[in-house]
Amino acid sequence: MSWRGAGGLRPWLVQRLSAVYLAGFLLFVLASLASASSISFDAWRGWIGRPLVNAAVALFALALLAHAWVGTRDVIMDYVKPVALRFSLLVLSGLVFLLSLFWSLRVLFSVSAA
Amino acid sequence: MRFLIYRYNPDDGQPPRMQAYELDGFENGDKLLDALLRIKAELDPSLSFRRSCGEGVCGSDALNINGRNGLACITPLADLGDTVEIRPLPGRPVIRDLVVDMEQFYHQYRAVKPWLTVHDPEPETEYLQTPQQRDQLDGLYECILCGCCSTACPSFWWNPDKFRGPAALLQAWRFLADSRDQATGDRLAELEGPYHLFRCHTIMNCADVCPKGLNPTKAIGNIKKLMLKHHV
Repeated sequence: MSWRGAGGLRPWLVQRLSAVYLAGFLLFVLASLASASSISFDAWRGWIGRPLVNAAVALFALALLAHAWVGTRDVIMDYVKPVALRFSLLVLSGLVFLLSLFWSLRVLFSVSAA
Repeated sequence: MRFLIYRYNPDDGQPPRMQAYELDGFENGDKLLDALLRIKAELDPSLSFRRSCGEGVCGSDALNINGRNGLACITPLADLGDTVEIRPLPGRPVIRDLVVDMEQFYHQYRAVKPWLTVHDPEPETEYLQTPQQRDQLDGLYECILCGCCSTACPSFWWNPDKFRGPAALLQAWRFLADSRDQATGDRLAELEGPYHLFRCHTIMNCADVCPKGLNPTKAIGNIKKLMLKHHV
């Protein structure tokens, strides 16, 4: 992959598409909260255990972390000039986001299996 | 009126400083350039600045006026208050006083190949356009390359060597939008990647300061949309 292949259009598109999903998901959560018959741990557990909701939250985690990755990458590319430091920060933030994703998915899987 | 003007002379070994001048007796309708010319003639002949046409067409006298980029020759003194702070365009290396090195700005302008590229055999007569096709160039061709927009752009401050900047990207869109141009693919390919186009974060300082009222942010948005259309 060439450096120009590191992408301009694709991250830009990811940022916008994920933003649309995040906004839609937020409305969905607010609507779910408003229409919930009771607000309790058991009700929440039942809600998030439903397969469709579980998948929607998983997609939310993916969209959020993809969005955060593009934004963090932009900030690092704008402000961090020394190549070694820039590379380290990019790798570090990428790792943190990737691990966060796996952790979220693990948690979601555990509540869906219950 | 009080004028605080950025002074720097690389030959005298002094760090840059702000120098104050007091000058009155302006006429109604006088512009900032009139004040600068009077300061140079009456108070301090060593003051350096660029100017040429004096009526907002050549783009030579772009300056940072009270923290905002603009052309001295079309900025009315009446709009500026009692104290006017004048600095060179931000982010550019200062050659002397208010004169900055614009080479990087011109480099980015040249890089977008701001000329018509046609692969077909040249026509016997003029290249024809419909009035509607010609209308697409309005708001684009009027740019005078004063540099107010690019030097007000934080993305250009941080990456002036790689980010084309609003002025050059406005011209990139001017040729992408031109019905006669046949280099759309090449132009878009040149702008792909993280830096040339996509350092723009839609801050919109460019559209805010443009003395000709142009909107580079909108042009950049149009380039991104066209690029997307070409990729899907």
